[in-house]
Amino acid sequence: MDRIGVFVCHCGVNIAATVDVDEVVDFAGKLDGVVVSKSYKYMCSDNGANLIKESIKKFKLDGVVVASCSPQMHEHTFRRVVEEAGLNPFVLEIANIREQCSWVHPDRKEATEKAKLLVKGAVAKVRLLEPLVREKVKVTPKALVVGGGIAGIQASLDLSEKGFHVYLVEKEPSIGGRMAQLDKTFPTLDCASCILTPKMMDVKNHPNIELFAYSEVVSVDGSIGNYRVKVVRKPRYVDFDKCTGCGDCVNVCRMKGKVPDEFNMNLGKRGAVYIPFPQAIPLKATIDPEQCLFLRYGKCGRSPACQDVCEAEAIDFTQREELVEFEVGVIVVATGYDLLDPSALYEYGYSRYKDVITTLELERLISSSGPTGGEIVCPSDQRKPGSVTFVLCVGSRDETVCTWCCRVGCMTALKQAYLLREHLGDDVEINICYTDIRSFGKRYEEFYRRIRGVKTNFFRGRPSEVKEKKDGLTIDVFDTMTNKLFEIKTDLVVLVPAVVPRNDSSDLGKILHVSRGADGFFLEAHPKLKPMDTFTDGIFIAGCCQGPKDIQDSVAQASGAASRAANILSKEELEAEPLIAFVDEDFCSGCATCVSVCSFNAIELMKKEDNKYVARVVEALCKGCGSCVAACPSGAMQQKGFKDDQILAVVDVLGGEA
Amino acid sequence: MSIKDLTSMAEAQVELREEINNRLLRLQNELSDYCFQCAKCTSGCEAHKLLELEPHKIMALLKRGLIDEMVNSDVIWTCMSCFKCRERCPQKVSPVDVLFALKNLAVMGGKQIPGNYTSMLQSILSMGLIQDVQEVQTRDMKTRRREDLGLPRVSKPKDASKFQMVLTKLAVEKV
Repeated sequence: MDRIGVFVCHCGVNIAATVDVDEVVDFAGKLDGVVVSKSYKYMCSDNGANLIKESIKKFKLDGVVVASCSPQMHEHTFRRVVEEAGLNPFVLEIANIREQCSWVHPDRKEATEKAKLLVKGAVAKVRLLEPLVREKVKVTPKALVVGGGIAGIQASLDLSEKGFHVYLVEKEPSIGGRMAQLDKTFPTLDCASCILTPKMMDVKNHPNIELFAYSEVVSVDGSIGNYRVKVVRKPRYVDFDKCTGCGDCVNVCRMKGKVPDEFNMNLGKRGAVYIPFPQAIPLKATIDPEQCLFLRYGKCGRSPACQDVCEAEAIDFTQREELVEFEVGVIVVATGYDLLDPSALYEYGYSRYKDVITTLELERLISSSGPTGGEIVCPSDQRKPGSVTFVLCVGSRDETVCTWCCRVGCMTALKQAYLLREHLGDDVEINICYTDIRSFGKRYEEFYRRIRGVKTNFFRGRPSEVKEKKDGLTIDVFDTMTNKLFEIKTDLVVLVPAVVPRNDSSDLGKILHVSRGADGFFLEAHPKLKPMDTFTDGIFIAGCCQGPKDIQDSVAQASGAASRAANILSKEELEAEPLIAFVDEDFCSGCATCVSVCSFNAIELMKKEDNKYVARVVEALCKGCGSCVAACPSGAMQQKGFKDDQILAVVDVLGGEA
Repeated sequence: MSIKDLTSMAEAQVELREEINNRLLRLQNELSDYCFQCAKCTSGCEAHKLLELEPHKIMALLKRGLIDEMVNSDVIWTCMSCFKCRERCPQKVSPVDVLFALKNLAVMGGKQIPGNYTSMLQSILSMGLIQDVQEVQTRDMKTRRREDLGLPRVSKPKDASKFQMVLTKLAVEKV
């Protein structure tokens, strides 16, 4: 490039007050290869942009330096300006004379000298720049949604409504997730099933949604626009097409009533063949291979009872795992959460005392489809509790367990207090031991007030211990409102455990190329401005896998993630970022140092004809971070727009060598 | 199923609490249950600044049903009945009305009323006033009598014994 234009911005007084702009313009005009040098008050304004465009045409420029703010701010603006004037957008260089000069130096003379050097360096680099081309990538207009809870369901419905094919993968036999386990939802007290099951039916009936229930994603490779996905469909030992979901097999199973029922938080028992709940989607029986007598011992009575009773002849003990492969353009991860096992806090007696339960267990006790048919009873002796005490923040806001707030615990306890009052009448004593009541959502505070008005005893303090005595459970709690230590004798203790990442989220994160935060939840690309994006382009997160959330926030985030995903799917082609790494194969020894430093799995080792290995950059995955370039011992790895000679030219200028 | 204060071994006085809550409702206030201990009442309490009354603590003890503890405490007599707590409560609860109820309970229970309260009462009974103010001092330390300012003499009950009778009868009713 030898017809370079330099455009210096005053940025109002931001630059001009400290840097003598006219002096910089004069200095730049005399540099090698510079044919025009101008200044303007706000170069990023329309007038500034026109000044650059007109100069490019008038002086037939082939390279441009803009001396202004950080490239973080306006590099893309000026690239567009240069492109609109008919030049390649990558023959532009920004000299940052604001953040790196005028804002940080008080002395006008020195700052002006530094600005001159920065401009000179930029000009030296532009002389060596090469035009770059943005590669096009075709987009597969399909989506993978991982997790069939309320967030996954919402994302699938939104994407399918937009006309894209959706593969929805759920590891359990039915979709529905945690919400299906709830009785009512706060603060409206809507019946959870009543508002969830219509959406589950929509998933089943939507022509664009392909549901893989009882399946798991085992591998994902490729990049934005084209991910190759492998899914394992676990054997149900029931023919999916033949099974009508009548439940005859469930009733005759020889293991019936012997297997802890995970859907009911192990409070009830199921058989080896089971349908998790009446509204399950898909409504198909599943045989638990670890419990089925026939699958374990090869023998179940004279012949398996389920097989005898099934009129549709759907029972099939020969089923095997099935591997399914497909391609998608985007992925939405919505794998949900686990509750902390409260045994982590030994002092609260969970798993030692039968009448110490969790909120999710109480939810199943309240639910009319639960193990007791909606009778709220103490698990130890099946009698109605006369007093129920909630302990909030079990493991939450605790530097030794989970530092974060679970965001749903307070409202869950308040909702359950209401339901207990409704089911058990006026006489039951309800105590809530809390640290703060966080009723932050829309209409939550009003709900909290309502619960205060139904004879609920609030103790502002965290109990230290749950003790079992002859006549029941005892909790000592210091109430900071009255400054007194109280002893609460109670029949049922309900712990509100912390919300934690799914126990398999570490493995899943690796499979899906999604990074996790220190708390173990999947990490968003920006906590405020990119809350649904991940650091891997084309992969989005929604719901509690990103962090604790209530239903309304999960649904909102899922719709948001679906919308972000649709931005990609609605394009036929994507433009790839050209400022990425490339390999000079003549210098590459195949040492794979670059492979180990790449955070984006963007480098592969490739075998050449002479059996030597060389590194290859997967252009669609490379983010242009430069780690591999810095790590490469031979200099074979280079970055477009930041080649060694281009950077060294700047370094020479700044170091006074040129 | 019980809640016990482990220091005093006291348990909730459920009926008394009910009675005080009903009184709040009759006076168009909200139930004490709605109090969420923001302590705005205490932040503005005139009696707190001088005499350590904590209206929010009164509400907390009431919610816990620990009525006797409050009735037996002299601090309930420090309330100046300025009604700021009632005016400003974000939950429309009225600590001042609770304090009236507590004072009534104390009187009914035959509790000794604190000394300065008794002398005030004596003064009212004898002359219808807490103090017999005939002259005041101005900021520049000059004494001004009511006559000097053209004010009439403070009126006193004409028949002291009748006045006392009426007051005694009224005192049987609740404050």
